[in-house]
Amino acid sequence: MIIDRRRLLVGSASLGAATLLAAPPVLGQAKPRVVVIGGGPGGATAAKYIAKDSKGAIEVTLVEPAKQFVTCFHSNLYLGGFRDLASITHSYDKLAANYGVKLNHQTARAIDRDKKEVVLEDGSRLPYDRLVVSPGIDLKYDSVPGWGREHEETMPHAWKAGPQTALLRKRLEAVPDGGLVVMIAPPNPYRCPPGPYERISMMAHVLKSAGKTKAKIVVIDAKETFSKQALFQEGWNKHYPGMVEWMGPKIHEGLKSVDPRTNTVVTGFETFKDAALVNVIPAQTAGRIALDSGLANQTGFCPILPENMKSASDPNIYVLGDATIAGDMPKSGFSANSQAKVAAMAIRGELTDARVFPARYANTCWSLLAPDDTVKIGGSYEAKDGRIAAVETFVSKTGETAELRKETQAENMGWYAGIIADVFT
Amino acid sequence: MFVFIHRAVLASILAGGLAATPALAQTSKGDRELGQYLSSECVTCHQLSGKQSEGVPAIVGWPEDQFVAVMRAYKNRERENAVMRTIAGRLSQSDIEALAAYFGSLPKPAAP
Ligand SMILES: Cc1cc2nc3c(=O)[nH]c(=O)nc-3n(C[C@H](O)[C@H](O)[C@H](O)COP(=O)(O)OP(=O)(O)OC[C@H]3O[C@@H](n4cnc5c(N)ncnc54)[C@H](O)[C@@H]3O)c2cc1C
Ligand code: HEC
Repeated sequence: MIIDRRRLLVGSASLGAATLLAAPPVLGQAKPRVVVIGGGPGGATAAKYIAKDSKGAIEVTLVEPAKQFVTCFHSNLYLGGFRDLASITHSYDKLAANYGVKLNHQTARAIDRDKKEVVLEDGSRLPYDRLVVSPGIDLKYDSVPGWGREHEETMPHAWKAGPQTALLRKRLEAVPDGGLVVMIAPPNPYRCPPGPYERISMMAHVLKSAGKTKAKIVVIDAKETFSKQALFQEGWNKHYPGMVEWMGPKIHEGLKSVDPRTNTVVTGFETFKDAALVNVIPAQTAGRIALDSGLANQTGFCPILPENMKSASDPNIYVLGDATIAGDMPKSGFSANSQAKVAAMAIRGELTDARVFPARYANTCWSLLAPDDTVKIGGSYEAKDGRIAAVETFVSKTGETAELRKETQAENMGWYAGIIADVFT
Repeated sequence: MFVFIHRAVLASILAGGLAATPALAQTSKGDRELGQYLSSECVTCHQLSGKQSEGVPAIVGWPEDQFVAVMRAYKNRERENAVMRTIAGRLSQSDIEALAAYFGSLPKPAAP
């Protein structure tokens, strides 16, 4: 079962072979170099694990414009008043201090795949032996008629955490009793399948807690069904009766347009006027750098080899997280973190003589419905028949006891502390 | 917590869950390097520092036999938690021993 690179290399005439073993990959170059684009749970985890486990034998540079990372995960808990913004904001400093990861706070402008160099914002170039690309998603600003980048202040998306998240909360707090909130929910595939529905729960919780039970949340969804649907709908009926109205395409007959000047949402069936808040979550693609570098296919996401997260189109590049087509794995922070560990091991195997074990992936996503009422979905995954396939999955059940739901929320909080310790310390 | 573990060990033995009971007497059968790789899945929730956080318990510095018994109890569905059942479900006996060797070798944090 254990793949030993040294043995695999025997008889291999590939170019890559020369760069392996402990020998310097390039004449005169001291150490093999890995560049990581993107400091989310995919990129930051990969940078940490490569640096940590190679014990300094590989030089790792993390390219990320932001000095601090605000997690989208638990940003709904911030929205619901269960966390403050500081508690979901994290610094990269420990990756540098503890493992010697070099931080480069710039945006990568291009990848020169022939020269194996990353071109940075300031025009400088970072050469690499292996490149990790984990840029997350980009929003398709042209996917909702009437809405675009210039409207994200009036109709926030909050699908990238930071100022947008704070803006959404401010706008939510200003919704009056009897006011209308409209959420435009995205088509598949998108970041965090249960995310929009956890957000609806948190919006309803905030409104209800403020005594605004006559406010209403209408969801115009691009999909006929959604993640953990029965669990969410049970929760909404129980905690927020009459406050949430979800509509799939068969009911709303298609989203026709939005008008950010009048806060109007027009569907084939109905026009919603004077909404107090419209939260537009548009369709998504892999982050721009992945598209521009030709790592994505016609779906807008990047095909990878399921056994190690290597790009299907470039043996020197690995792609992680939301940007990838990862088979049965959802686009989550948990998944990105899990994929990063597989890639880190594979890269160490290629650049040093580290042992390489068969890839194992995992994911769990918790969703908070109301205080101490949390549900979860998850599974374990492996490479099978050319894709990442689920080995075993689980999901919470409707009608579970309050005690179990409370334990599940304690797990959720424990997980957040755990993944943050894993990625950023 | 330790009372709980001992009960789990006992329960597994009673349930015939510990087919490899003689393993209890030995130490470090596990491949620590494999254990270190496999542990990367665990540390998304369980902190390597041994810090317990809310619903996620600490798992470092345990006697290996107890660690193996508890993991087998999840695998054999004698313990409830859905996450842990799924995780333990695909671990082989040698995977579990490797994990026990790795986590067992880590220091517990100073008592609070
Ligand atoms: C509301 C909401 C709730 C969520 N809840 C959960 C949850 O409970 N659990 C969970 O597991 N997941 C959750 N997620 C999903 C999770 O946030 C994402 O799946 C995860 O962040 C993906 O990680 P990533 O590394 O692929 O990308 P990202 O986290 O997006 O990180 C990408 C990074 O790359 C940087 N970058 C992009 N382009 C460049 C470039 N050209 N040069 C340099 N840097 C670049 C960006 O600045 C960014 O920091 C949620 C998401 C949302 C929106
Ligand atoms: C998704 C989060 C998560 C992951 C990943 C995870 N665990 Fe757990 N683990 C938990 C939770 C939650 C509990 C408490 C379950 C319970 O109450 O039975 C637990 C319990 C345990 C226990 C029993 C602790 C005790 O005090 O009784 C052990 C041992 C354990 N896990 C080992 C592991 C190992 C080994 C791995 C990796 C192969 C792992 N866990 C991965 C969440 C996780």
